Amino acid sequence: MILTAAALMGAIGLLFSIFLVIANRKFAVEVDPKLARIEEVLPGVNCGGCGYASCALYAEAIAKNGEELNLCVVGGADTTRDVARVMGVEVSGEQREKLVAVVFCQGDNEASKFPGVHKGIQDCAAAIYSQDVAKRCKYGCVGMGSCVKSCPFDAIHLSDGGIPYVDAEKCTACGNCVRACPRDLIELHPVSHNSFVYCKSQDPGPIARKVCSKACIACQICVKAAAKDDNADAVTMDGNLAVVTPDPYAAKPEYGEKCPTNAYSCGCNSVNKARVLGHEPVGGERVPVGTA
Amino acid sequence: MNYLLVLISAIIVNNFVLTYFVGICPFIGVSKKIDSALSMGIAVTFVMTITAIVTWIINHYILIAFGLPFLEYVSYIVVIASLVQFVEMFIRKTSPALYKTLGIFLPLITTNCAILFVALIQAVRELGFIESLVQGFGAGVGFTLAIVIMAGIREQLELSDIPKPFQGAAITLITAAILALAFMGFSGLTSS
Repeated sequence: MILTAAALMGAIGLLFSIFLVIANRKFAVEVDPKLARIEEVLPGVNCGGCGYASCALYAEAIAKNGEELNLCVVGGADTTRDVARVMGVEVSGEQREKLVAVVFCQGDNEASKFPGVHKGIQDCAAAIYSQDVAKRCKYGCVGMGSCVKSCPFDAIHLSDGGIPYVDAEKCTACGNCVRACPRDLIELHPVSHNSFVYCKSQDPGPIARKVCSKACIACQICVKAAAKDDNADAVTMDGNLAVVTPDPYAAKPEYGEKCPTNAYSCGCNSVNKARVLGHEPVGGERVPVGTA
Repeated sequence: MNYLLVLISAIIVNNFVLTYFVGICPFIGVSKKIDSALSMGIAVTFVMTITAIVTWIINHYILIAFGLPFLEYVSYIVVIASLVQFVEMFIRKTSPALYKTLGIFLPLITTNCAILFVALIQAVRELGFIESLVQGFGAGVGFTLAIVIMAGIREQLELSDIPKPFQGAAITLITAAILALAFMGFSGLTSS
């Protein structure tokens, strides 16, 4: 009885195993072995900084469609090298500097007094939509911290005054905060770039000054200083706002020495903030990022 | 005529999900979108139909012939597991998108009690070969019907303003209960 039962189960098992083996051969799916290895060397944080929704999708794009190897902003040069090794490609000497997020507003609660309190959903876009923004400037930071919530790396925080600042060391330039800001106040810039006009206000001078003590009032002192230095392209006017060129080596901090509102290159934002906090940013040096 | 009776009975009157309460796991788990619910239903129908045929053969020509009816459960599980493996391979080859949508619920068809129920109930009801086949197919169609109706309701629920304590699993289970009540209305349509 036991023997029959055992033999029977064995026979049934064997029959179905054979059936499955044949089916497996017939329906085998080719998976690129490189795919798994690329996924292994990618950071796996799924931040979306490369333009793909997840590390797995980026790995697939590399393996199948020959996507660029240096898009991972989180892993930087190390990851690019590892991916290149998996793909069997040489890393050339081409370099790309590390980027960090820069917040283009200094209008904290002190500088830009607020008329009311937002009590709805704690989200910048919601605050703007419901028209009870806690800051007076209509170009400036709302201070609800949508960028802080969007950061997967804990690199951006609100200061006591309600303005975000970026920890340059933790920032990987994934760009989540850039997309999160409903007023487009955050941009990615090379880490060594330390001269900016930290303002996006297009209000004419008198109004800008009235709503915020740290706004660009379009006095053009920095523009003239740049022109005097034979460097007219470094700082230009865009409507009622002075704008520093994206080239990190063109503009100098000295152009802002006479800025009446300290909108130009004040030591309280981004890269500079990281210095204040005691982190030594990689400023001044180019961080090599290879490309295949 | 008898086959039609078995079919209608399996699909509507004795709908496996809504009257015997088997196969609840995928019924709740994969009923968020009509598309994936339908695919799940078709996969389950396929497995159920084949299972009904194979287990009927095993039951009649092996287990009863050798006098080993106690091997019922073990041998049926082997059959179901192999079939699910086969379906998984097939779907993975033919439709990677569907493979991703079904996710964990595809291998979980293995442990779907509705399928084992199909295999076991046909011995209890002493159905013939064709009747078993029809009942297996009908049970699958019934499952598909239930899960697609559920998915349709849940898609509407996504847009509804549900009180906070009822959100999520609570409203889903209440919906399933009301759906089961509605299906009770079919009892008495046929006998069996």
